[in-house]
Amino acid sequence: MAQGSIKKADLGKLIEAVRRDGRFFGPIDQGDGACLAEVTPDAVLKLDYANFTLPPKRMFFPRSEVIATHEASGMAAVPVQEGQVVLFGVRPCDALALTYLDKVFVDKQFTDPYYRSRRERTLVISLACREPAATCFCTSVHGAPDGRAGADILAVEVGEALVLESLTKAGEAFMTHHAKLFASPTPAQRTACDAQASEAAKKVSAVPIDGLKAKLSGCAENAGVWDDIAERCLACGVCTYLCPTCHCFGLYDEQVGQTMRRVRAQDACTFPTFTQEASGHNPRTRHGMRMRQRVMHKFCYATENFGDIFCVGCGRCVASCPAHLDIRETITEVSQ
Amino acid sequence: MSPSVAANPYLAHPVTIRKIIIENEAKDLKTFRLEFCNASDRAGFRHECGQFAMLSVPGAGESPIGIASSPLDAEYIEFTVKRYATGAVSSALHAMDEGDRIGVRGPYGNSYPLAQMEGKNIVIVSGGFAFTTLRATIRYMLDKRNRARFGKIVAIYGSRSPGELLYKDELKLWQESGDIDMHVTVDKADQGWTGREGFVPTVLGEVKPSSDNAVALVCGPPIMLKFTMKPLLELGFAPDRIITSLERRMSCGIGKCGRCNIGAKYVCKDGPVFTYQQMQELCGGQF
Repeated sequence: MAQGSIKKADLGKLIEAVRRDGRFFGPIDQGDGACLAEVTPDAVLKLDYANFTLPPKRMFFPRSEVIATHEASGMAAVPVQEGQVVLFGVRPCDALALTYLDKVFVDKQFTDPYYRSRRERTLVISLACREPAATCFCTSVHGAPDGRAGADILAVEVGEALVLESLTKAGEAFMTHHAKLFASPTPAQRTACDAQASEAAKKVSAVPIDGLKAKLSGCAENAGVWDDIAERCLACGVCTYLCPTCHCFGLYDEQVGQTMRRVRAQDACTFPTFTQEASGHNPRTRHGMRMRQRVMHKFCYATENFGDIFCVGCGRCVASCPAHLDIRETITEVSQ
Repeated sequence: MSPSVAANPYLAHPVTIRKIIIENEAKDLKTFRLEFCNASDRAGFRHECGQFAMLSVPGAGESPIGIASSPLDAEYIEFTVKRYATGAVSSALHAMDEGDRIGVRGPYGNSYPLAQMEGKNIVIVSGGFAFTTLRATIRYMLDKRNRARFGKIVAIYGSRSPGELLYKDELKLWQESGDIDMHVTVDKADQGWTGREGFVPTVLGEVKPSSDNAVALVCGPPIMLKFTMKPLLELGFAPDRIITSLERRMSCGIGKCGRCNIGAKYVCKDGPVFTYQQMQELCGGQF
């Protein structure tokens, strides 16, 4: 494990060093909350954000991408961009979500080569939370304001400095490679990191998650509670697009000019046509069934298939729902 | 590492349509006989009875279709596709000609448990165009290299009318051979029909195949499946000896896109073959 501290004012030097052979993405204000965007050494990084408006999953699993073209000899894969990518400022909940996406996209039998290729060339530096939002509930779903899973390096703000700790071999190699930019953290700084995390954890809202899987499993598809919740839902899909663990997608073949290509785009189980078959048959006809699918997938099916709840408590779905649906209330309501 | 074609599960292999057989009077069921353009793709495509593949028409899209040919049909693979006016891919496929090129990726999913079925009597019950993967299974079992490995084979297959029966020439050959007890029925006979008339579940009750040391493979429309389970259970088939195949809309075919699940199981990778017992656990036995 490597440790180091760097003054926030010196982050430009790190950005400059990374950009010699790669790209650096950091938090900047684009007028619509914090955004993870490619930055140059002179960029003004925004560090006082609760979380990015869009989850970092888009860096590995974009909303839409052309994955292949049809050539005379058959299909040709569109390669992903070469070179190292460093993501700085990913919140620990979103880093944890990457470990869940890994389980879906990189398995023994079938691996998603686009996701894996991006994941392999990307270094994730997460930034511990100081001021969780009112919608955060990470501590109820295996997360923490200074959670370590899914990141290569954890950074903690202490006054005018950032204290970094490597979590993986790649993170350690990165810190060694850039060692001259880092000072040794003082004992006082290390103590401050831990104190800050426990203070932040106190501000995170709590959701009763114990025994949830069994309670949800007992709540059948035809239970009226799903229709009651669905009645308030506009089925806009924003909760799925902003969710750091939602990974439903579709493959589409299209012709643009003379080019035939295959596109992969994020999709949502809350849309009525998601499961509609060519014959017109649809196994999930009612919106309540689709609402149930989303909740069950996260809190039951994922635990059966992967041993994890596919929710990291980032609260984006709560903060962005135009109908003010709150997943914390939903799971409480359904499991009563 | 950039994604290569070989390790990329989302890319289809090019195939040429060698033959198109119009199966029914309504002309909305066609069998496509496909040949791989590259020998290495053919060598890499090793399917088992009951599996499916994604068929694609460039510019139109992809659909999951059960493989209708036997694994022993070395030169080609076959798919029988129903055209739906609302189906972009099936409509595009039906508009294609022999010699045209399309795409195939797969094979995907689990298969009928043929290894465990060896030494047992086999009962096949099917209706409509769901017969395709069971046709593959019958072809496989009746191959002279395989026939002795299975006991008595009883098959009941039906369609709405005589003109809607699939694989008519093959059905005739099977009925004339002594290798399989083949019962073909139609819901409603026409003037030229001299065979059996009656719904598949009714005929099953009349034929009364023995459940002794037997496995039942059942594929058909939901309504047929619903009414077939009762007579099978009455004949003594245990729910784990009744094997069926499910369909769902799919996009990836490999358990990632999140589209085809029933509970925690994905039809594409945990299925499409499930026992009736598994179906009862998954969805209360609803079809």
